[in-house]
Amino acid sequence: MSKNYNKLIKYTFFKLSLIPLSLLIISSLVFILLRVAPGDPVDAILGSGANDIAREALRTKLGLNESILSQYFNYLEKLIHFDLGKSLSNQEPVINIIRNSLPASLELGFISIIIAILIGLPIGYLGLKNKNKKADYISRIFGISTYAIPPFWGAMMAQLIFSVILKIFPIGGRFPIYQQSTNITGFIIFDSIFKNNFLALQGALYHIALPSLTLGFLLSGIFSRSFRLNLEKSYSSQYVDAAICRGIDNRNILLNYAIPNALLPILTISGVTLASLAGGALLIEVTFSWPGIALRLQEAITQRDYNLVQGIVLVTSFLIVSLNLLVDILIAFFDPRIEY
Amino acid sequence: MFKSKRINTFTVSTICIFLTLFQYSCKTNNPLKRITVASSGKINSIDPARANTLKALQLISSLGDTLYELDNNGELIPKLASKMPVISKDKLKISISLKTNILFHDGTSFDSKAMKFTIERFQRIGTNNYILDKKIKSIETPNKSTLIINLNKPTSSLEGLLTSVNLTAISPSFYKNHYDTFLNNDFAGTGEYVLKSFSNEVQILDPNLNYWDLKPKNQGINFIGYSNSSSLYGALKSKQIDVLLSNSIDDTQRKDLNFLSRKKQIKEGISNPTEVSFITLRTNIEPLNKKEIRLAISKTINREEISKNVSYGLRDPSKSIVPQIFKGDNLVSWPKYSPKEAIKILKEEGFCDGKTLNLPLTYRSNVPTDKLIALYWKKDVQAYMEDCLSISINGVESTTIYKNLSEGLYTAVILDWTGSYSDPEAYLFPLLSCNKLDKHICNQGESVYSGSFWGSEKIEKLFLEGQNSYGNERLKILLNIERLASEEIPYIPIWVSSQKAWSQKNISKPVFNGAGRLLMGDLEIINE
Repeated sequence: MSKNYNKLIKYTFFKLSLIPLSLLIISSLVFILLRVAPGDPVDAILGSGANDIAREALRTKLGLNESILSQYFNYLEKLIHFDLGKSLSNQEPVINIIRNSLPASLELGFISIIIAILIGLPIGYLGLKNKNKKADYISRIFGISTYAIPPFWGAMMAQLIFSVILKIFPIGGRFPIYQQSTNITGFIIFDSIFKNNFLALQGALYHIALPSLTLGFLLSGIFSRSFRLNLEKSYSSQYVDAAICRGIDNRNILLNYAIPNALLPILTISGVTLASLAGGALLIEVTFSWPGIALRLQEAITQRDYNLVQGIVLVTSFLIVSLNLLVDILIAFFDPRIEY
Repeated sequence: MFKSKRINTFTVSTICIFLTLFQYSCKTNNPLKRITVASSGKINSIDPARANTLKALQLISSLGDTLYELDNNGELIPKLASKMPVISKDKLKISISLKTNILFHDGTSFDSKAMKFTIERFQRIGTNNYILDKKIKSIETPNKSTLIINLNKPTSSLEGLLTSVNLTAISPSFYKNHYDTFLNNDFAGTGEYVLKSFSNEVQILDPNLNYWDLKPKNQGINFIGYSNSSSLYGALKSKQIDVLLSNSIDDTQRKDLNFLSRKKQIKEGISNPTEVSFITLRTNIEPLNKKEIRLAISKTINREEISKNVSYGLRDPSKSIVPQIFKGDNLVSWPKYSPKEAIKILKEEGFCDGKTLNLPLTYRSNVPTDKLIALYWKKDVQAYMEDCLSISINGVESTTIYKNLSEGLYTAVILDWTGSYSDPEAYLFPLLSCNKLDKHICNQGESVYSGSFWGSEKIEKLFLEGQNSYGNERLKILLNIERLASEEIPYIPIWVSSQKAWSQKNISKPVFNGAGRLLMGDLEIINE
């Protein structure tokens, strides 16, 4: 076992050592792609009306008059000092913008995954329990259709039904405008609980309910399908047969033999999904005006805000790489069969 | 038994959560009787020197005052100035008397030094400072209530510039650490509202209890932003907001809101037209370098039908590149729709009967109406222009178009323009002026940046004359400029657009000032 841990630690260090290299490649690619794309921040800020002198003046002010190579080295130099620069459109430090918007995306992503698991796993289980019966077919159709629904359409339908027609949930935003939010970490739900502010907690839950239910619902299909398949595989394995022969009752077999093994792939899926959601669920954020990192990234791309795009991509890449590594470690920890 | 108990617990918990949420949703009905105004997008900065989006300018105009303002008839009226500006005989000095006893939100007094600070700061760091274009030589403050602006050369548009929201008076003491940098998230002006809190998505305004003019009729404004027009539309319909203010809302939704307002379910307020949409023709290449070809093309655009089919008749067809309000009894008219005449001209120019003139038309792919205009025009040309003219359309993202306009990449492109300040010159100059001319081809200047590459010495002379003239004389010169342009057709005007706002039944009808800004202070709850 200790040998395994040693291997795992070695593997972790190896993966960790690759993170800076991955980030360097990603940031360089983003830097180049942004400059190659037509249009620049000056055009986005000034539109078509400004003259050459005004454009040149703004270009100089933003440091865009320097050669691309010089801009690149400046960027790398700042990056080494953990300085992501300032937003070109409003001169606000990029790190502040990320600090304000990333918690919104993480909060939404985390709650959505919990909802997806809460919906997906029971449906997958019910499907397998009633194999080849009506409930199984419904569960399969549910799994495929939720996965197939385009997120923007699903979000708009949810908004139309629950916000406009039934008026149960707010149409968008993250917090009621009538209240002052409690902001310590940026995770409003956590902050409200931490500050014992029940009203703020209620407001935050009320606003996150529809986006997270929608996203959770859309993600639940993959969990239900995957759980059903893996549970079925577990049930047909030799260790379950052995347990049955030993006279262990069905409930124990399910809880102690089948589910733990079926959950390992779910852990991988959850990790990958959470990692992808760390970069924000763009279409959900746009539809529900959720002030997350994906919405910021979309705005920054439209405004050709090079520094902000580079900063957001770099931070979210770091999160994605880190979360993937964490999932790898967790799987290795829980599954002794895995070797590195 | 165990199973059913668990199910019961789960059911009860779920019901409890939903009850809590329902209870909350019932409770969120405007406890402070503030008015919630929603618009699209977010505000990056409320620094007057930085702001250049309609939304930011709208907010700043509620938080601050300019020296002058345009009323609903387009007439200049003094705001922080006490009377109309006095211009010296050599037209190089403008004296402006200022109102006294006006306080900034931070409690300091408004005076000539504050105004000097505001203008100089904008000249120094303003994103749109090119609108001043070295017009101002120096600013003097002989006393607290007099501001003297010395000009480098005579200019008549400065009065119009002084209505620009970018020159909203700000408190020097509040901005003392931001003389060279933007202050994006705070504001201290003299306006009817005080900024209570600011985030990119939500801004909360309280009435300014020390306001020098008429106080707001409401108890405050919550100004919020949604990231798409469906949310805005849904929020108004589900009564989650009181007022919807947006120019970027889809035309189908505008139509529906217009229908609801006619049924008196909501109220609709419309500003004077401020934005003009047009097609720029690149005049420095064949065959568009020929006036006759441009004339023929301009005669194929059916503005009335485009307005009816694309905007459901909610945008006014325009045969001018300057919104009507600023021109009084303007008689300038760009070529009318007449496909028969267009065919005749094109035949005379050697097209038709097997030789088709192909016009590549570019539209901004992120502006839905542009695509519909392009599609409608293409279809119309196919139907009525026989084999004389065909249009091939291509969508490009707006920022890319702006970048490439001056490179001359687009033969014809659909654009729009809103003047930086409320004056005909703010529309004519950016579209028609030229610094370096070779006959009618402009090699350097504004018309290069607008993609037409067209210029005229006559027009340049008239611009100069206009700088030295005032009042009706100046208006005549500006009309003459447009008349000359309408004969040469470097652009094809399509329509003019107005700002629109819709309010719930229990809120007063939204009213705009002459520059197209919603008067937030006039919004009131009328049926509690």
